[in-house]
Order: sequence, then structure tokens, then C-alpha cells
Amino acid sequence: MTRRILIGLAVLFAALVIVLPVAAIVSRAFADGAGAWWAAVSEPETLQAVRLTVITALIVLPLNIVFGLCAAWAIARFRFPGRRALLILIEIPFAVSPIIAGLCFLLVYGAYGPIGGALQPWGVQLMFNLTGIVLVSLFVTCPFVVREVLPVLSVTGEDEEKAALTLGASGWQIFRFVTFPNITWAMVYGAILATARAIGEFGAVAVVSGAIRGQTMTLPLQIELLYNDYNTTGAFAAATLLTALALVTLVLRGLIAAIHPARGATP
Amino acid sequence: MTLDIASISKSYEGTPVLRDVSLTIADGEFVALLGPSGSGKTTLLNVISGLVTPDEGRLTLDGTDITATPAGERRFGMVFQSYALFRHMTVAQNVAFGLRVRTGRDRTSRKSRDARVEELLALIEMESFGDRYPAQLSGGQQQRVAMARALAIDPRLLLLDEPFSALDAQVRQSLRGSVRELQQRVGIASILVTHDQAEAFAVADRVVLMRDGRIEQVGTASDLRERPTTDFVRDFLAS
Ligand SMILES: Nc1ncnc2c1ncn2[C@@H]1O[C@H](COP(=O)(O)OP(=O)(O)OP(=O)(O)O)[C@@H](O)[C@H]1O
Ligand SMILES: [Mg+2]
Repeated sequence: MTRRILIGLAVLFAALVIVLPVAAIVSRAFADGAGAWWAAVSEPETLQAVRLTVITALIVLPLNIVFGLCAAWAIARFRFPGRRALLILIEIPFAVSPIIAGLCFLLVYGAYGPIGGALQPWGVQLMFNLTGIVLVSLFVTCPFVVREVLPVLSVTGEDEEKAALTLGASGWQIFRFVTFPNITWAMVYGAILATARAIGEFGAVAVVSGAIRGQTMTLPLQIELLYNDYNTTGAFAAATLLTALALVTLVLRGLIAAIHPARGATP
Repeated sequence: MTLDIASISKSYEGTPVLRDVSLTIADGEFVALLGPSGSGKTTLLNVISGLVTPDEGRLTLDGTDITATPAGERRFGMVFQSYALFRHMTVAQNVAFGLRVRTGRDRTSRKSRDARVEELLALIEMESFGDRYPAQLSGGQQQRVAMARALAIDPRLLLLDEPFSALDAQVRQSLRGSVRELQQRVGIASILVTHDQAEAFAVADRVVLMRDGRIEQVGTASDLRERPTTDFVRDFLAS
């Protein structure tokens, strides 16, 4: 009985919080027919927003993976001064409101900030363009991979790494053949969460993008713009694209789980 | 291969864990490091394997100073208490690992690796288990695979850290015998860490009794039992 109630509650919750809103987006987007939806999503501005969002996500993804793996390995395997500080530092992007993060980046990397100002004479501009968007996206997403990989790394594999070392493996070989296979799944999971977040990020990007129409608008910014312009169909049509991107990351996750079974491993 | 351990000391955060440890292990000899928990047995073994750097002292192998030689270049086979098998590799891949990671002049062909793996699996009587994963093996089988993996690199010295402690008493007894037999057959000098004196006396030519990072007494079973040099040795063996 308790079990049924619990399952019922979970399903109800999922329906109210996830399924209904998504369904509402889709139904509103197609309210004026598929033709109107197609016209809305093929607007040059909307397409540009999709392109910018995807490019940002593709740049941020590998950087996130490299940073996440390095940081997690350093924290899990070495004792060094500043290790605790690094652990706390990594959590900061989760604790800080994205809009504040955006403002901080503007202060430091903007034309009047210490770094942005120093680069200004060289004609290098960091804010209000792709660079700025990538920088803040990196900031808001950098904890994901570390947070997924670190716990796995902390509980597994240290002895395996030592064994590999005594068997003559180099540092790279140890990582490639021993450590990496143990953390692949956690890394992929973290990377997918990070990508989903990068795609959907609004607040921080809104501050540093400069909101130049047709140039520095990411998909979430474009959706808000359309909505504020009373272009409801356009806004919801664009929203279906964003939702579809999110679904792609979910499907990817499922696919990877299918082709990367934990062969006889005990997690 | 004669290993000479000379005046090794090691501290962690100011706490001495090994104090002026000296010991010589003769060619083909089987030595057991025995002592209560925290006496520094694992640390000494790790110093020998190169996983831990000593603060002071020297390690010499056949007259060559290896104190600063990295673990991977010492070619010492090590069997860990947890076995530390590579969980995502098959038994055969585990055993072949030490050969597979060789580069340059030492590179091995796939064929010679396969042959060597077959030979080792036969040695541990697990010929038909090559395709299994570690999680599909019993504790005793995992232990034997760990042994075969360590032997695959033709080690100059075999280091065993409580290799039987995770096994039940019966398996432990039989494995004890087979490890000793393997060691004799391969003719390799070996060091076994244990806190079980029955185990130490059953397999080792000489037993090194440790206490608080020092060697209390070294000798054969009868030396230690009949001529304990300190009260600690007598009490430890009586317990
Ligand atoms: N990495 C380390 N950092 C700090 N202290 C350590 C470290 N490794 C070992 N020690 C300390 O050194 C002492 C000896 O440890 P060691 O593992 O060598 O003991 P042992 O004889 O193997 O004990 P056991 O039978 O319990 O395995 C212990 O007091 C332990 O707390
Ligand atoms: Mg120990």
C-alpha cells in the first residue's frame, strides 16, 4: 500500500512538474499549426540563436571534461596546499546566483575591468561576444564533471593505480587503461549535465552577452526576447528547439549507457 | 637477487613509522614481516616496492643502489591485500598488463604475450578462466590471478601484503601452501606481510618481527620460539 502511494505521488509529481509543462510548450508552439511553427523556427534570428547556443556548448564541453578530470584527479590522489580551498572553490558556481556571476565577469573582464581593460589597447574584447558567453558558461558548468567524477575516484581505483605503477605503467598508461575506464560513466554523466546547463543558462549569459539581436543572442535569451515582444508563437516554437536540445542530451545519455555496459564490474 | 635494506627511516607528519630498519634478503629466500597492527609492515613493503620514498637509508639490489629508482622500473611483483585487479579487464588482460605497457626496446608481441598468459594461467591452474572478469571470480581465484599478474613481469622480487587476509580459513590454508610452492618453483625471493604468526611460520624461511617501526628480532621459527631476545617477542608469539 505504502509502495503504491509513493509511486503514485512520484508519478503525479512528475506529471505536474515535468510532463504537463513540456506538453504545454509543444501544444502552444503548434497552436497556430505546423506551418506557423516552421516559419517561427526558421526565422534567421532564431536560427542564429540556435547556432550560437550549440557552438557555445561544443566549446564548453571539452574544456569542462579536461578541467573536471584534472581537478578531480588532483583532489582525489594528491595532498597539496590549497586542496581544501580548491574543493570549496569548485562549489562556488553552484552557490552564486548566475546573474551575480555574470556581473563579476563583467567587472573583471569588461572594458573597464583589470583584465578587460588591459587587453583593450590590443583590440581584444572579451565581453558582449562569444568569448564572454563561453567564459560565463564555463563558470556556471565547471562543477558538474568534478562533482560526478570525484566520489567515484575517491572510493575506487587507488590500489589499481598502484598495482599498475608497480607493473611498469607510465602515468599516462595508468590513466588511459586503469583510471579512465573506471570513471568514464561518471564523466559522461557530468558532461551531459554540464552541457544541458550550458544550453539552458540564462542569467549569467544575459549579463555578458550584450543582447545584440541576431549576433549574441543565445536560445534562452532569444526566447525571452520573443516573449517580451508578444510573439508568443515564436517564443514557444523556439522553446521547443531548446527542449529538443535537452532531449538530445538525455537520449545521448541513454545511448552511452547501452553501448558502455559495466561488463561484470561491481560498481 | 640479494636485497639489502640499510637504515631505512620514514616519518609521517613528524611521527616515525619506520626507525632505522636494516635487513638483508638472500636470493630465493622467503621472508615474512610479522607484527601487530600499525607496526610499519606495509610501510616497509611500500618502501621496498618504491611506492613510498624513505626519509633516510638505502636499498641495494645485487650491489646496485635502487633507493631512487621509480617503482615502475624496479620490476618487483606486488600482490595487494585487496588484490587490486583491474576490474574492467578480463583475467587474461589483467595478467598481460605488465607486458602490454612495455614500450620501446622492451615491447612484446601479442603472440608472445598470449603465450606467457597461457603459461601463467596454467601455473595457477586457471586455464579456462582467461575470459572472465574479476567480479566473476571467488576470492581465492582473484588472489591467484593477482599472483599471476605480478609474476608476469618476471619480477626480481615478490612482495605480498597480507594476500590471504580476505579469505576464509580453509582457502587460506591451501593457498598458503600453493604460494610457497609457486615461490619455490619460480625461485624468486619473496617478502610476505602478515599479522598471523601461524601463516608466517608456515611459509617463510625467516620471520622478521616488527614493533613500532623497529625490527624486534629476525630468525627462523625455532629461533624466535625457543630463543626470543625480548619479552615482547615472547609475549607476541604466546598470544
Ligand atoms: N600515508 C600515511 N600517512 C600518515 N600516516 C601513515 C600513512 N601510512 C601509514 N601511516 C601510519 O604508519 C603506521 C604504520 O602503518 P602500516 O600501514 O605500515 O602498519 P602495518 O604494520 O601494515 O599495520 P596493519 O597490520 O594494520 O596493516 C600507522 O600508525 C599508520 O597510521
Ligand atoms: Mg598493513
